[in-house]
Amino acid sequence: MSGRGGRGGRGRGGPMANGRRAVAQNSVPWAMDSDIVLDGKPSELFPPYNLPKAPLLSKKEDKQVSYFLLFREQCQDSALYTQARSWTQASGGTARTYGQDQVNRRYGQVTKATVDPFTAVPTYSHRFKTVPRTLPDLGSRPFAKEFFPPELHATLEGEDEPPAAAAAAAAKRRRVGPKTLGLSNITSYKTAEELFLPEVAQQKGVGGDANLDKALQLLNSMEKRNEDGDEEAFLSGEDDDDWVKGNGDDDEDAAADEDDQYEDESGDDYNAEAYFDGNQDDEDGDEGGDEGGDFF
Amino acid sequence: MLVTKSVAELCALLIDELHGELPSRIFAILLSKGRSTLPQLAQYTSMTPRQLRHGLAVLQQHNLLFYHVDSGAEFAAYEANADHAYNLARTGKILEMIDSSFGAPAKDVMQSLLLSGQTRISDLVAAYQVKIEHANKAAAAIGDDHDFGAETNGVNGDLHPAKKAGALVKSTAHLNSIICRLVEAELIDVVHTKTFESHQDVLKTVEKEVMDKHFPAGIKGNKAKIELQERIAEGLRKVRGESKSLKRKLEQNGTAAKRRKLFAGIGMANGVHEEDMDPALDPRQVIRVNYEKCLVDLRNRRLVHFATDMLGDTTAYVYGVLLKLLTRDLPRCRPDAVMDAGEEAKEESEKGPGPVTTEQILDSLKTSVDLSLGIGKAERRLVSSTAAEKIELYPPKKKVLIEEAEVDGEASADEEESDNNNNSSEESDYESDYKAPATNGTNGVNGTNGAKVKFDESAAPKERRLDRPTQLRQHLLILSESTQRFVRHCGPNEWTVDFTPLMNSLRETELDSVIERTAGRQGLRLVRILRAKGKLDEKALPNVALMRKPELQQKMMEMQTAGFVHVQEVPRDLKADVKKSFFLWFCDVDRSLDRLLDTSYQTMVHCIQVLEALRQKERDVLETTKRSDVRGREKDTMRKEYYERYSRFLECERKLFAQVMRVDDLVSVLRDF
Repeated sequence: MSGRGGRGGRGRGGPMANGRRAVAQNSVPWAMDSDIVLDGKPSELFPPYNLPKAPLLSKKEDKQVSYFLLFREQCQDSALYTQARSWTQASGGTARTYGQDQVNRRYGQVTKATVDPFTAVPTYSHRFKTVPRTLPDLGSRPFAKEFFPPELHATLEGEDEPPAAAAAAAAKRRRVGPKTLGLSNITSYKTAEELFLPEVAQQKGVGGDANLDKALQLLNSMEKRNEDGDEEAFLSGEDDDDWVKGNGDDDEDAAADEDDQYEDESGDDYNAEAYFDGNQDDEDGDEGGDEGGDFF
Repeated sequence: MLVTKSVAELCALLIDELHGELPSRIFAILLSKGRSTLPQLAQYTSMTPRQLRHGLAVLQQHNLLFYHVDSGAEFAAYEANADHAYNLARTGKILEMIDSSFGAPAKDVMQSLLLSGQTRISDLVAAYQVKIEHANKAAAAIGDDHDFGAETNGVNGDLHPAKKAGALVKSTAHLNSIICRLVEAELIDVVHTKTFESHQDVLKTVEKEVMDKHFPAGIKGNKAKIELQERIAEGLRKVRGESKSLKRKLEQNGTAAKRRKLFAGIGMANGVHEEDMDPALDPRQVIRVNYEKCLVDLRNRRLVHFATDMLGDTTAYVYGVLLKLLTRDLPRCRPDAVMDAGEEAKEESEKGPGPVTTEQILDSLKTSVDLSLGIGKAERRLVSSTAAEKIELYPPKKKVLIEEAEVDGEASADEEESDNNNNSSEESDYESDYKAPATNGTNGVNGTNGAKVKFDESAAPKERRLDRPTQLRQHLLILSESTQRFVRHCGPNEWTVDFTPLMNSLRETELDSVIERTAGRQGLRLVRILRAKGKLDEKALPNVALMRKPELQQKMMEMQTAGFVHVQEVPRDLKADVKKSFFLWFCDVDRSLDRLLDTSYQTMVHCIQVLEALRQKERDVLETTKRSDVRGREKDTMRKEYYERYSRFLECERKLFAQVMRVDDLVSVLRDF
């Protein structure tokens, strides 16, 4: 709109333009203000920029940051933490997204395109890798259920399974004994200072114990897993929670080369045959919802 | 609840950082779309309902949601709790505060509580029991030869905290007592059925209840309207009070302070006695962290810091003690507009914090603090004691004519009691004009004489060494005399703090420092001139500021882009000729503060985004460090250059988070305190 107006004005020309020029001649800054010194030089392309530098951390701030980082570490260690970002700048993803679909595709996707060919070949050290969780493990800890809306109660019990996997998982899922709220056993966050000054740690007479302690911790965690009864899972390195297993079953017939890590749908979203089915379920949820138990 | 884009981004990033990606995605959608139900969310996010349910459960567990189930509705409507999400950035500060004021075990408990969200007491106790047993077993297994090692751990603290943490909370009784302390301090409160209703929902329910109960025929007339407001406020207060039920129960048994006084001398030395005396908490109660009260404590710390900058360490320490006493029963920094409306009318004392007497402060001061530091000495005749000891009964901003007269009357009556020498006309003169006695020589002397009677009563006859109460009094007088008005001397030996004007002055100080950093001292000077003069014409400004016109214009333009000053164009006639119209510079503090707040949010967002970019850059290194065989032993297992890259990354991370926390200092001053 404005562009058009501008063109029109120029086109008309004549007295209008003259009048404008008269105004313009008097109202440019150097006409209004005779002291102004104009330099016609072009501005420097990269002018020196005085970057303000933050002062060093005070002792109190240092403590605050350490506490925050420790807290974050514990959070990320907890059963409720989920992180399955498949999007990276390196893998050719763009920062810009158009629509929710594209946003969703950034998470939890393992496809041939996202796999790094240099590290994807199975090696021994892969068993030490932690598999990122895509859904929180809600079944492992107790909740104060009365403060959750009723539709979430089944989820809190860890009973929110896709119907196919539910039966298979049901037997396995039943945990014996009461659920306990696990407290994080991560109690230290390595600070950069500590990393830089390992000698100090040695001097203080605990450096030698560090390895021993680590080993002990590892042993403890092994024992704990033994008690839980998924020793094999730990040893074989694949953390096959119930839902992953369900996913595997689904995938066999799907024969999809695109493997969604979100097990419940397992790429069915993008499977044309299953597409309408899935959608219908959704609609059911919208309208009736009383059969909330059996959709997904 | 409406938030700006940058806040929404920040909240999503913080949740992503702490609780993972799934809740963060849902939270972002909830913020942008507003109140939604599960099917709506499924539509917005195109995630599966199962994913959504899991994500919502996590959010709910961490107190980041409001939800409301209408009776008969199938789905609950969820709403994002942006305040709590923002408070995640303050976790480090809150933990540090608890650590320094309640000790390491309390910090441990608080951390567990923050980590697990709302928790049933029995679950928490069970978890700690497991941990304690584990620690005991480990201690037994390691045996005696490691006792030495454990001791050194205690000394150097952080390096080997695994065992230390095991010993932090010694027994369930200890845990119980810690929870009791925190509940008494209101830092932990109880979750009840209305906790997760948003304010509007609660308001609506209460309104409906009141209408049904008291006004079935509808409201007629102003009187009924006022009554309705009062009843609503009362109802809301009742809902709010429910979260304090545990504290009330504890108070019935007598608070720790009381018990300590009662049993002073018996069980003081060992804390075990005290633990036994704490009542067992109801294991079915569900508790969570009360951020509102945490903010009050953080504000106290900020104010003490402010006082340190302005006045000095010792005075600031005294101020800290005063604030602690004053805010013990203050539940939140800013009173709620609807809820506290009725309260204000009902009882004056409830609204502001009550006064604290000098004796109370003296009792809670540590004896190790030397109060003689930080007080300057001046000749007796140079100090106008009447002016210094002036008592202000009411907060400064209340300017109602009738009440002011009342103030005068009462104050003079007070004065009458303390010194009978002065005649009343002189007093009213002194009361009406604060500066008068100080400038007028004879009057000043007179005043000194008058107050001397009172002063000598409390002070020791020796002039050189003042006794402790007098020194304390001096500190308090310094605080009340300062331009920032840290303290108000609200009665003989009674002190209080008017938080609203004080925080305004703190805000202005912060703004000034930001202006100085961005526009230099000249810029700050110009802003101050504008503040003093109001709106100034562009042509008049160079004369007032004594600066050359081009320099001045450049500076003003610079500050206008930064949003510190604003310009208004006033045409002289109908034609609105640019040459003839006035350009008025002015500065609007509120607008600048809003702008500053928004910039602060953006800075925080930027910090976290930079961190994410760094993570992408160092991805291969970070992936290695996440491996279970490498974790904790990075130094031994990683190659040198990898290790160096890792440590560099860690350092950057620390700096970035420190920056976030510093900016949060500013945000909390501008927004929350």
